[in-house]
Amino acid sequence: MRRLERDFAEELESHAVMLPEEYLQRGLAPEQARREAMLRLGGMAQLRESYREQRGLPLLDRIRQDLRYALRMFRKSPGFTLFAGAALALGIGGTSAVFNIADAVLLRPLPYREPSRLVMLWQDDTAYGFPRNNVSPVAFELWQKRNQAFQGVAALTHTSFNLLGQGAPEYLHADTVTANFFSVLGVMPALGRAFTADDGRPGAPPAAVLSYGLWVRRFGAQPQVVGQRLLLNGAKYTVAGVMPREFQFLAPDVDLWVPAQWTSDYIEARKTDHFLTVVARLRAGISAQRAGVAMSLLGRQLATADMSDLTAVVVPLREQVAGDVRPALLVLLGAVALLLLIACANIANLLLARGSARTAELAVRLALGASRKRVIEQMLAESLLLSCAGGVVGLGLAVLATGFLGQLIPPGISEGGAPSVNGPLLIFAAGVSIATGILFGTLPAWRGAKVELVTSLKQGGGRSGVGAGGQRVRGVLVVTEVALAVVLLAGATLMIRSFGKLYHQDPGFRAEHVLTLQTRLQYPKYQSMARRSEFYREVLQRVESLPGVVAAGYTTYLPLADEGGGSLVTVENHPVDPRHLLIANVRVVSPDYFRAVGMTLRRGRLLDRSDGADSLKVAVINQNMARAYWPGENPLGRRFKRGLPQLDSSWYTVAGVVADMRQGGMDVPVRPEAYFSFEQADFFPPDSLAVRTTRDPLSVTEEVRRQIWAVDREEPVAAVMPLQEMVDRSVAPARLQTGLLGGFAAIALLLAALGIYAVLSFLVAQRTQELGLRLALGARPAQVLRTVMAQGLKLYLLGLAIGIAAALALSRFLTHLLFGVSAADPLSYATVIVLMASVAVLACYLPARRAMRFDPMAALRYE
Amino acid sequence: MAETKSEVLQGTLDLMVLKTLQALGPLHGYGIARRIEQISGQVLLLNQGTIYASLVRLLQKGWITAAWGTSDNNRKAKFYSLTGNGRKQLREETENWERIAAVMGRVLQL
Repeated sequence: MRRLERDFAEELESHAVMLPEEYLQRGLAPEQARREAMLRLGGMAQLRESYREQRGLPLLDRIRQDLRYALRMFRKSPGFTLFAGAALALGIGGTSAVFNIADAVLLRPLPYREPSRLVMLWQDDTAYGFPRNNVSPVAFELWQKRNQAFQGVAALTHTSFNLLGQGAPEYLHADTVTANFFSVLGVMPALGRAFTADDGRPGAPPAAVLSYGLWVRRFGAQPQVVGQRLLLNGAKYTVAGVMPREFQFLAPDVDLWVPAQWTSDYIEARKTDHFLTVVARLRAGISAQRAGVAMSLLGRQLATADMSDLTAVVVPLREQVAGDVRPALLVLLGAVALLLLIACANIANLLLARGSARTAELAVRLALGASRKRVIEQMLAESLLLSCAGGVVGLGLAVLATGFLGQLIPPGISEGGAPSVNGPLLIFAAGVSIATGILFGTLPAWRGAKVELVTSLKQGGGRSGVGAGGQRVRGVLVVTEVALAVVLLAGATLMIRSFGKLYHQDPGFRAEHVLTLQTRLQYPKYQSMARRSEFYREVLQRVESLPGVVAAGYTTYLPLADEGGGSLVTVENHPVDPRHLLIANVRVVSPDYFRAVGMTLRRGRLLDRSDGADSLKVAVINQNMARAYWPGENPLGRRFKRGLPQLDSSWYTVAGVVADMRQGGMDVPVRPEAYFSFEQADFFPPDSLAVRTTRDPLSVTEEVRRQIWAVDREEPVAAVMPLQEMVDRSVAPARLQTGLLGGFAAIALLLAALGIYAVLSFLVAQRTQELGLRLALGARPAQVLRTVMAQGLKLYLLGLAIGIAAALALSRFLTHLLFGVSAADPLSYATVIVLMASVAVLACYLPARRAMRFDPMAALRYE
Repeated sequence: MAETKSEVLQGTLDLMVLKTLQALGPLHGYGIARRIEQISGQVLLLNQGTIYASLVRLLQKGWITAAWGTSDNNRKAKFYSLTGNGRKQLREETENWERIAAVMGRVLQL
């Protein structure tokens, strides 16, 4: 840089030497010759300046200069800087935080080898109402042997074990898996080995693979655990290996894996039981779609008289794990992007206002020889500095928020992939910051550089500002802001109403003051129904006699914990339609269960102690089942049984009808359900105990545990949780989404209001003279108020109209997420309009009031 | 965006510099400025120094190159000369101007 300047100085000098020679030749004195020459050459300082300007600074110097200038400008207007910085931090931070979650759920690779090649296979039982049903072992075997599309097909089923010895009995969640399970997923154990084909042979010594968590918790992370013997449900297992910490498949709480050792008799016996979860790895070059077509063809080939549903539904693993959350995540991403746009529009508006106040300064700079390009560069640098500063703060906010937002991640995504600060997040935040800076900075920079030197200098500075063109642009920005805010508000209001409906509906049970826990009965100890019944009777008698306990009851599955337990049902005197087989949830309960959980009787009676092993077999059904199987008739006294007509099972008489209870989740449609007494039903033995108390449910935990152990010391007590907490957990994701959306909408509303306020304030300042004149000439202050407010409200109304139209168009994307509320719900939209209107009126009123209060004399003198 | 008056003048000055270099061969800043003064008076050149902004522009565009040398009176000076691209640019611009002049001529004769 210096070198170039010196070079030019030399050149000028040589020029300055040559020029006088002309005059000398003409006969002028040397002194005079030089003076004339200097005149003709021009002012040295100016020449050097214009040379420098033309040459341009190297990039780094330019940037440094711009940044220093930008910092100075920000220090001069701290209010604007803080506001813009805060708005940007919120917008960029929010976007980055939501992106981080979306990345973890939708983009980050799952912890298996080549996870995009993994798919889930479900049985297509649409005829029964289960388009993606768990798989029966017969279907699994056939698929495994006869498929062309997969290089490996494995299956798993959830089970549990009571771990005895070495400390307190512990209830472990486990998966029984086919021997090829780990190799299909492509994961290596951290310690020891996984399963081999030998482990899966019926009669082979049973092995077990531990989860990392279990290994640390129960075995102190000792490497010698491999080869140790474990007592699971009374049988000896040998520890074969330990899985790595991040490993999990679909369920995060699996402690243990054991190999499936199915004989062909077992498979045949359980041929109609759909209890398997099947995962497969696609062959190279075959897509999930092609595999689906292939399996569909295979299904048709394999269909026989009694197994007509052998078609596999192929679902990519990512979709299986993330599919439910994807719509909500996309909505959140859209919402936060809208918020960012509103913030940009706001800041652009403010910059434009500031730009017109800076015309004098800009004009002088241009007159001194700065190129327009340079001015634009410098103003863009200001914007980028602002947006990047906001981005840094926003990134910090995002990192803080990720822990809290982690609730949105579905359980299938492993803990190891929990959101944290990582490459994609940083890149995203940086990219958004820069894009935002350019977005809101370009327009003001461009307009700033268009300043006409002469006119702006004549107008004596920034008071009058840029003319009508600038006004229009600012008006457009405000209208945009209002429209976007309305869209966001509409979405949030719909979601809030929907969540309200979800949470406050009658779930069919009363969750307050109920403690729940699980006592999985061990086999073979409790193989006989008589033994089990004895256990239940004793435990219930002891627990119910505890002080503070109102009622206690056993059930197969608690409300909201629908983990299956469905059976084919045949209704007496109703012909069986093979295309429409009836499936109902089956629950085996103790008589007081209904009272413990707070269900309501609608007709007939509940089960009671008189329904013993020798009495008439009765069942209580829910209203859904009554309506579905005996439409328009009285179901009391009618009979039904489990399984197809030819199955030799007992007939049950309907003794009562209860109100529907939410089974799978607060927003999952209710299915037919039948309740049987544990004295009269040998299937689906109950494991869950519900205890209704008069005080805080957790306070009876110890006493209940003690009573259970008094009956059987070796019975582990697990999953202790108040029923209310189960309810809260089931709505937690929806609550979080709604909360976030509401938060974004509130901020958007605030920003839009500020936008209107700022524009109107500017307008008022601009029209000071005119309004002052009007007041001086006798106009009433109220008229001035009306005039100013009318201007602001016009912008608001236009924005509102566009926003409502856009919201109606876009809200159909929300329909998946809404419960009990239509996407065009009039009450919601009315709320939005009223809310927006009140905010807009306030935003217009404040500057208008200022105008009204103008002292006419001061206003006229205002320059 | 239409060219401002100053930009049009800049363009014309640049053209003249190129033309001068073509006519007179490699020349230093003083020489170019003097020649342009002789032809167009004060119209294009406010003062001789303004030639340098033009020379920098032409250098940046790659239409001329510069090298230190000695003038006729044995003074050290920086000499500028046309590049191949410069010659091409000159040819194109000349054709442009001549075409405009021809059209204007016909229009004004109507």
